[in-house]
Amino acid sequence: MTRPFLLQKKVRRTLTVIGAAILIISVTIYLALPVVALFFRTTPELFISSLSDPVVQSALHLSLITSFISLGIVIIVGTPFAYVHCRNTYPGKMVVDTLIDLPLVLPPAVAGLALLVLYGRVGFIGSYLNMFGITLAFTTLAVIMAQIFVASPFYLRQAKSLFEQLDPSYEQTARTLGASPLRILTTITIPLTASGLVSGAVMTFGRALGEFGATIMFAGNLSGVTQTMPLAVYVGMEGDFNVGLTISILLVLISFSIMIAMRFLASREVKHA
Amino acid sequence: MHKRWNDVSSVFIRIICLLIFAVLVAGCTTSPPTNIPPATTVAVQPTTMTLVSTPVPTTAVPVKTTAASVTATPITSYTPSEKTLIVYTAASLTGASKELGTRFSATYPGHTVVFNLEGTQALKTQVENGAYADVFISASNSYTNTLKSEGYFINSTVKPLTTNYVIVILPASNPGNIQSLSDLAKPGKKIAMAAYNVPIGTASYTALANLAKSTYGQDWNKSVFSNVVSYEMSEPGVATKVSLGEVDAGLVYESTYASAPAMTLTSISIPKTDNYLQTYTMGVMKQTEDSGVAQEFEDFMLSSVGQQILRNYGFRSVS
Repeated sequence: MTRPFLLQKKVRRTLTVIGAAILIISVTIYLALPVVALFFRTTPELFISSLSDPVVQSALHLSLITSFISLGIVIIVGTPFAYVHCRNTYPGKMVVDTLIDLPLVLPPAVAGLALLVLYGRVGFIGSYLNMFGITLAFTTLAVIMAQIFVASPFYLRQAKSLFEQLDPSYEQTARTLGASPLRILTTITIPLTASGLVSGAVMTFGRALGEFGATIMFAGNLSGVTQTMPLAVYVGMEGDFNVGLTISILLVLISFSIMIAMRFLASREVKHA
Repeated sequence: MHKRWNDVSSVFIRIICLLIFAVLVAGCTTSPPTNIPPATTVAVQPTTMTLVSTPVPTTAVPVKTTAASVTATPITSYTPSEKTLIVYTAASLTGASKELGTRFSATYPGHTVVFNLEGTQALKTQVENGAYADVFISASNSYTNTLKSEGYFINSTVKPLTTNYVIVILPASNPGNIQSLSDLAKPGKKIAMAAYNVPIGTASYTALANLAKSTYGQDWNKSVFSNVVSYEMSEPGVATKVSLGEVDAGLVYESTYASAPAMTLTSISIPKTDNYLQTYTMGVMKQTEDSGVAQEFEDFMLSSVGQQILRNYGFRSVS
């Protein structure tokens, strides 16, 4: 009936609270301390003066532009894709499902090599493109392609699971009222899943911004053309340490502000009926 | 019921496919067990993959360390023992490192060598941030001097090891149709070089500047640099881009060209009068817990056996 050893309720309660507090504090510290350490390794004056370095500015410029373009393409193509993928059964659906997850498992450097082997000048597709004078490797477009490849699973998986979990009765009702699938997608499905889609977009943007292995393999490292911020950090870490540190801090600041902005946008959610 | 069976089997099949894919990917990214070289790269920085133009492809995608060929078991941490030396080595010695490790272990039974092969600038950063090394082989005199002044070396052990010239390599098929050094400046050519802080990078820039001053002019120099599509972080990175055929030309050390597999590369040599002779130095680190074995390794590298191995891989002797 009663357990052989039973602590007083109060004691148990206190222990639980202490245990939970330890867990939360240790996880927070483990994640936050390295980032904080970045800020303390440099001085504000050094940071401000490094900001005017042309390497820093071109890396920042290039990273933001390519990441936004990659995010845009993933959202514009990925949302209808996820919708069609979820609402229909077609032969090979399972294969496509697995392929969506593939870039998550693939090491980024392998992804970069794969892109190079396919789209490079002597690649399977690249050699044909080369005949028409189209080069992909070592261009800014290569940066975008690499970012899309590694970052799209974040958005696609999120969109997929959101659409699958959405109560189909809303869409079915709209269908009976005569709405086309596209209209359903834009006026019902997306607004209802908006906050989840936004969080998927945030993750995609963060991943694209931080992409390194595939970029250096497929796009190369050329300041102003393909040297994104992570590449510049890597070069800077071994050459001009302050530049590397500055760009790292910039990346942290940008990531934080994007996440805060997205959370603010996502908080304005469409309430269910 | 029919629907549920579909769900279960589809999940099952999906997991199997993912596992197969993961195994395939893992199989493609680890070197075959029979060919584990003592040369490994430690990924302290974000994952980079270096493919070298040697018969054994090594990839450093996850952090994988293996002891020298005497025992082919992977060691998972760099706890220095009496029998294992950790040698931080400039990446251009990747091809020679396997044989050097094997011969050293054969000459000094019981001792093994683990090489950490990266650009000298990367190794220097690691050491300055607390990484442990017994011996440091640097491809750049200036980095050696910096480390000496910072007190990382046992200064009396710092000695020149070998030398190397710069050479221009082309893919064997010569897709850019580059026949001479002046062709490097032709518009539309793609050139790969090392970044400014990599020793081969500074060597390349100096050689090009010398060529411009003596023969081809400053416009040629400017055009060559405008043809550069990528500044790599290590010398094997440049060699990889060239051997893959993705660029028309690259500047590397003569040793890389000499030890490349047959039929993969051709070259255009740079006249000695304009060329930059890189001197590699080697020294025992102050922090070593194995100064005796470290000194033995240095003696081995400087002995006729070690020097002959280096020469076989295209390095020149210290004049």
